[in-house]
Amino acid sequence: MSQVLHPIEQKILSVLIEKQNLTPEDLSEKTHLSIDQVRRGIEWLKFKELVQVNELEKSFVKLGNRGSEALQHGLPERQLVNYLKSIPVFSCEMSQAKDHLKNEFSPAIANAKKNRWIEIHENRIMLKGYHDTTSEERILRMIGSKNPAMASLDEIDDKEALDLLKKRPEFLNFTSAKYSTVNITEKGADAAKNTDRDTSDSEIRAIDVEAHAPVVFAAKSHPLTDVIDEVREIFVSLGFAELVGNSAQSSFWNFDALFIPQDHPAREMQDTFYLKDMNAKSVATPKQLSQVSVAHKTGWRYDWRMDAAKKMVLRTHTTCVTIRELADYQHDEARLFSIGRVFRNEKVSYKHLVEFNQVEGVVVGKNVTLRDLMGLQMEFYRRMGIKKAKFWPTFFPYTEPSLQSMIYNERLGKWVELFGMGIFRPEVTRPLGIKNPVLAWGGGIERIAMLRYGLDDVRELYNNKLSWLRSVPKCQ
Amino acid sequence: MPVVTLYFERLTKLLGRKISKEKITSTLPFLGLDIEEQTLDHVNVEYSPNRPDFSTDYGVATGLQGLLEIKLDMPQLKIKKGTDTIRADLSVGKIRPYIVAIKAMGGKMDDETIRQIITMQEDLHNGIGRRRKKVSIGIHDLAKIKFPLVYKAVERTHRFVPLTSNTEMTISEILENTETGIAYSHLLEASKKVPVIVDSTGNTISFPPIINSKLTEVTSKSKDLLVEVTALDKTAAEDALAVVAYTLQTVGFKLYSVRISGSRNSTVSLESRKMLLDPSLVNDTLGLSVSPAVMVKSLRKNRLDARIKGKQILCLIPRYRTDIFGPIDLVEEVALGYGIQNLEPTLPPAKSAGQKNRVTVSLEAARNTMIGLGYSEVMNFGLVGKQIQYDLTKREPSGIISVSDSKSQEHQILRNSLLPGLVDTLSRNIHESYPQKIFETGTVFYRDNPINEEIHLACTSAHNDVSYTEIKSVLQSLLKSGFDIACTTKISQDPIFVEGRTADILVDGKKIGIIGELASGVLDNFKMRIPVAGFEIKLTGLIFDQT
Repeated sequence: MSQVLHPIEQKILSVLIEKQNLTPEDLSEKTHLSIDQVRRGIEWLKFKELVQVNELEKSFVKLGNRGSEALQHGLPERQLVNYLKSIPVFSCEMSQAKDHLKNEFSPAIANAKKNRWIEIHENRIMLKGYHDTTSEERILRMIGSKNPAMASLDEIDDKEALDLLKKRPEFLNFTSAKYSTVNITEKGADAAKNTDRDTSDSEIRAIDVEAHAPVVFAAKSHPLTDVIDEVREIFVSLGFAELVGNSAQSSFWNFDALFIPQDHPAREMQDTFYLKDMNAKSVATPKQLSQVSVAHKTGWRYDWRMDAAKKMVLRTHTTCVTIRELADYQHDEARLFSIGRVFRNEKVSYKHLVEFNQVEGVVVGKNVTLRDLMGLQMEFYRRMGIKKAKFWPTFFPYTEPSLQSMIYNERLGKWVELFGMGIFRPEVTRPLGIKNPVLAWGGGIERIAMLRYGLDDVRELYNNKLSWLRSVPKCQ
Repeated sequence: MPVVTLYFERLTKLLGRKISKEKITSTLPFLGLDIEEQTLDHVNVEYSPNRPDFSTDYGVATGLQGLLEIKLDMPQLKIKKGTDTIRADLSVGKIRPYIVAIKAMGGKMDDETIRQIITMQEDLHNGIGRRRKKVSIGIHDLAKIKFPLVYKAVERTHRFVPLTSNTEMTISEILENTETGIAYSHLLEASKKVPVIVDSTGNTISFPPIINSKLTEVTSKSKDLLVEVTALDKTAAEDALAVVAYTLQTVGFKLYSVRISGSRNSTVSLESRKMLLDPSLVNDTLGLSVSPAVMVKSLRKNRLDARIKGKQILCLIPRYRTDIFGPIDLVEEVALGYGIQNLEPTLPPAKSAGQKNRVTVSLEAARNTMIGLGYSEVMNFGLVGKQIQYDLTKREPSGIISVSDSKSQEHQILRNSLLPGLVDTLSRNIHESYPQKIFETGTVFYRDNPINEEIHLACTSAHNDVSYTEIKSVLQSLLKSGFDIACTTKISQDPIFVEGRTADILVDGKKIGIIGELASGVLDNFKMRIPVAGFEIKLTGLIFDQT
């Protein structure tokens, strides 16, 4: 099928089919298009191989300072002749002519002699005869008639005279300029004919279907939401039920219930956000309170205080949500998980945020083991597309044994620490009446998102830069 | 997490066997030590504060010897009976009641050893010592001390030359003018008098928990040491002393007890603890079925003594292992000795189907509807700054919920509205092409009893022809096509919006949100020239119930 041409392209081709070798300026004049439209059209046509553009170079000659003077006052020899014509007997002493012509005297004498316009006899110059116009003067006038005073070398036929003028210092300047001419190709000629027929036969004007279209952006969910959703789907697919809990929690559920003593460094204000002057009204059941306090007093040997347990904090982990569910509902068998924002009083940096998302899953069951926990972790990673993972021992205050998992990141080419896990300590479960072992595992989601999107700075996830949000592919 | 520096050359000497760097660095993580940085001659590792014995290369070497099977079993602590005494005076009873001490004789310390011991001391102060509040440690050159010593409370006019000075200072001057005095003076705020340790010639050797005396400064020339630990809790004091004592013995010192007298105080023995471990707890917890003999070997590799006693395993735990509370901690010791890498992961089958929370399901529907309407999701923090939340939006601050001691101006208060964050997002994207249509769902906070958390949805549209009508269409469509909810709007006021183009959003006569065109003054505050319209609605109670 024939190509569809833009109206600009059509106009250019219809001119070129009549006359070849036109410059863009010529085309602009003949098509009544602006020079910019013509240039754009030529680019399109050239790309489609419908025209051929020749880049050429042209030499020009301009009048120099003395050339301009000569145009105004005449060549030196003409000035001499005019002078001689103006005085009696058409002759004078050499010295007189010299006074009159000054610097032009020598070339005037030389050229007038060569033209046989004068004779010199005993220091006297005598006019013999003269021509009305010389070929050199014709060239000067021709150049001078142009605006600007510049002529193409092609326009000057009398090369002999030009050479003579060239020899006169500062009469002529030579320059060159690049320019292009456009020729229609055979394919272009065909296209020009076909287009005529298409546009005349069809009611709907054809458009350039190959041209670039303007950019539009798809509305999307946030990339971090996509990772959170993916993590959630995996937990659900592994048989976990989702819990939702509050961000503001009493210290009791965030710390005490997890056997973190009240003087533990993690509970200090420089690590945990305390809500100013805010205490929980009701914290837990009296039984839960008394048994947890006893566990602290005997395990950590200090004076456990109710007022410290009541202090409201922004949760430092989602474990407070899962432990409360387990304490309140006493599940014997369960798979539960929670995803949400957690808070740490940190200096914000490329590594740390004060607020980030964490996921935590727990498995309660009579016969659950550390190997099961490792297996669930491996399966979670497998479903996230992470192939290699390994386990190292670590320490968490509320789990024993405790492990951390490392995953191999292909892009970074190294092992990266990811989720932590462990089995809740008996000092945590027993006071809350939880009978069966509880496996717990989880970690930060931003870390996974950074690996997924190849980010080196965690803050980029919350910058809300539209340039990034608009360009990051939905699926990768 | 605290960090300890391990030089391979020193480590090789301490291990007593030539072990390759690769073997060492690949074994360290299985002691629970995270490699932070590795160079040609050393490696920096992070250790958990519950293992203060890993605060020196001596302690790490002891652990490595076990896992590498160079030495098994518990390191024996040998303390000979000493005759020197410290008397704890009644006057310290209400300030810092406990003191324990030990003498370490005939050792040699190079600069690196001294550096390791000082780091250990600091890590003990921060961990077990709870930043010196609970426990503080003083290590002294024994040659400068004349026994018997007295631990007593003195007035703040008491004078001596502190470690960091060359001139005598009063207690008050030390607390006000020295670096450690300023850092820890709050620990002594409760009492007028302060505790000091004075020797028989009247020299003050220590001012716990602040600073030692210049007189007893430890140098590489010191051969005999006195270690004293003062504390609010006697067991914690012994914990700290045990870690120091084991380390100094490994350095090569011979240990002698120091007799302590005085009310509530007594001489310490730092004896090992006995604990019984049921092999079935090990197998049930780890998911193994190994014999008690394997468990015993694993425990011995973790530098514990263990032997089979009937159906149980009897363990002997050295006094410095303060992290072992009960049998479950011994289970982890078995796992480490057995090798975490030798535990084969198993995937237990799920017994029930998983499910998303109904809040999540409803939120997903709201988000998808907004995306269908052409709005892109953004994410802001819940803990925000006052400036954006109130000052720039011209909203009246009331019932603000703040956090204490935030390290950042931008994270001081809990947001009570999402709109300010969205406008801020727009203002940071003025160089991007328009229209800009964005939304956010997230938690907002109100003072209640004591606090109420709600999930909101807010959206803004920014372009040259934006109007109240456009954004109201979006609101209606979100509620109608998302949740089959009809809403009405009633003229209202909010400083963030233009007067006359602001309305309350009502569902069944109840206000669920606010809608309008942004006030030009607010846009000026955010340095924006493009007009913006938006709304914010409360989803909690509308599309799902309170959690």
